[in-house]
Amino acid sequence: MKTSTHEYKNVRKYYNEMGAAFLLYALVLVISICVGRPMKPGSGQTLLLISPMAPFLLIILAIFRHFQRVDEFVRLQILENIAIAAGVTAGWTFTYGFLENAGFPRLSMFTVWPVMGAVWGVIAIVRCAAGR
Amino acid sequence: MKNLVRELRSERGWSQAVLADQLEVSRQTIIAIETGRYDPSLPLAFAIARIFDRPIEAIFLDEG
Repeated sequence: MKTSTHEYKNVRKYYNEMGAAFLLYALVLVISICVGRPMKPGSGQTLLLISPMAPFLLIILAIFRHFQRVDEFVRLQILENIAIAAGVTAGWTFTYGFLENAGFPRLSMFTVWPVMGAVWGVIAIVRCAAGR
Repeated sequence: MKNLVRELRSERGWSQAVLADQLEVSRQTIIAIETGRYDPSLPLAFAIARIFDRPIEAIFLDEG
């Protein structure tokens, strides 16, 4: 599908900003793991281990800036996709919560975002394909 | 709401990407408007009317 120049410029800006933010995040993450894990427990170690969340804010900023640049229809599509993904994820976490009561292994909170991200991605791909 | 965006665009020999660039929106948005899946906001409808040099009510038809 041939994109418009306007759309191409927007996406290129988004990829540049997101790529730079993600690289910085990965760099700080590696440093925090390599240096932070062997440290003695304490506030210094806690601060170092949580430090990847500082560049993570840049990732959120990149998403927010992209959201500001896209047109009204694309913005509406993104919002609807997020709402559907949040609903599906809420359904999944509640269901698994009941399953934990039935003896299923406890899962980390870390599993919530990958599930929501994956559902979001699938919904975006399916709706994009359906709209062509 | 029905509209004549596809017909007016075709008359001028423009692709969806060309119209999208003139309106500074995505091609996906043009497709959604042309197929009637999305009714544009007033500012976007006015921009479409300006580009085709027609009044809004001659492009977007009220089916009510």
